[in-house]
Amino acid sequence: MIISSGCAPKNPLPSNNSYSSYKTDVPFITPRSELCASTSIEMVSSYWQILTPYVPRLSLSELDERTLIPAKGGTVQIELIAAARADGLLVYPLEPTFDALFSELSAHHPVIVLVNRSYSWYPLWHYAPVTGYDVKAQTILMHFSDIPNEAVPIETFAALWERSGNWGVVLLPPGQLPESATAEKFLRSAYDLEKIGMTNEAITAYKSALSRWADDIPTLIALGNAYYNSHQITEAEQIYRKILLIDSKHPFALNNLADILCHTNKSDEALKLLDQVVTDNIKIHALIEATRKEIHSGCTPFIKK
Amino acid sequence: MKVSKLLLSFVLSVSLFTQVLSAQIASTGAVLGQSAVSSKKKLAQIISREDVTKKFQELGVDSKMVEARVASMTDEEASKVAHQIDTLPAGADAGMSIVGAVVFIFLVLLITDILGVTKVFNFTKSVRN
Repeated sequence: MIISSGCAPKNPLPSNNSYSSYKTDVPFITPRSELCASTSIEMVSSYWQILTPYVPRLSLSELDERTLIPAKGGTVQIELIAAARADGLLVYPLEPTFDALFSELSAHHPVIVLVNRSYSWYPLWHYAPVTGYDVKAQTILMHFSDIPNEAVPIETFAALWERSGNWGVVLLPPGQLPESATAEKFLRSAYDLEKIGMTNEAITAYKSALSRWADDIPTLIALGNAYYNSHQITEAEQIYRKILLIDSKHPFALNNLADILCHTNKSDEALKLLDQVVTDNIKIHALIEATRKEIHSGCTPFIKK
Repeated sequence: MKVSKLLLSFVLSVSLFTQVLSAQIASTGAVLGQSAVSSKKKLAQIISREDVTKKFQELGVDSKMVEARVASMTDEEASKVAHQIDTLPAGADAGMSIVGAVVFIFLVLLITDILGVTKVFNFTKSVRN
């Protein structure tokens, strides 16, 4: 008999049975009061430290100092994300579904989830890494609290997880790709690294994205720009030229390559590139004209770094 | 939101300067549909970061750490924290403490007393009376 109630999870359990059991060997750390966010990051980062050449940038106590808000007695999601990034990890927001969760677990990627252990009218928010799934016992394995790989019945997990809107993040060294990623969402995560000044990590992430989505133009532009902004001009030029092989009229690639050529004393070629731009977008048009003006007034050579 | 005139003029001059320097490159943000940063927006972002800094100090975050913590947020994240810190959930800990549970049970029984469903305490007066 099916009992329907208002408290039933809105996000149904995985409907198809194509999933098998998965388990990742994530090192376990005993929970400490108010510090589940930094403990969760530390567990996942030590996991990657064992498997890959990744070296965490922060110690556990530094993670503590970066995540706890004393008056709130816990950590907000954005700060978990920001601290993980400062630790040298790429943070990919999980699609809020069991499919995405299982897809990551199948690739042996632990996922940090936010759950509410209580009801919405008396919330007890808690972060914990999900480490596996047992299809036979219908349990989710997670370093929930005191017991490593505690088996939580999937219905219970679904109820707790649903209260956070199925919030979860995949933390990975920039050379790894989330199993469930889309090119655009991954690019946003990688670009976030660049935004806070971690350009080398961002470049690594763009490159690994290209290993899966070789001709993805936004990712190529991001990589070209990251090279440009870190004064690796030859590499930037190669990437912009590669984009033009895929899409010979791409206005951003034409523009950015023209800028490089102008700064390297090839103004004629630069102007020819700009002449190829066809656009009715006002902003792109303004950008092209600004570059044209710069070329006519003469560009100064790049300062060698 | 008090920003000194000095800071304001500094920000504007810096952003104008950088615009002259790098206006010619199409940014990755533009590819992702994140609009280019105008001077005005830049200023708003700096104010957001100042707000986060101030709020964090009020919430007891070690002032030595505030700067590093705000620095590892993107502008969008800083602005979200600045505006929503009071309502954002904070993942905390391994469940309810004994004291918390005792207080909680007390409150539940108090409410049920008031509703007239229980009569645990002598000092309560039920709404059913």
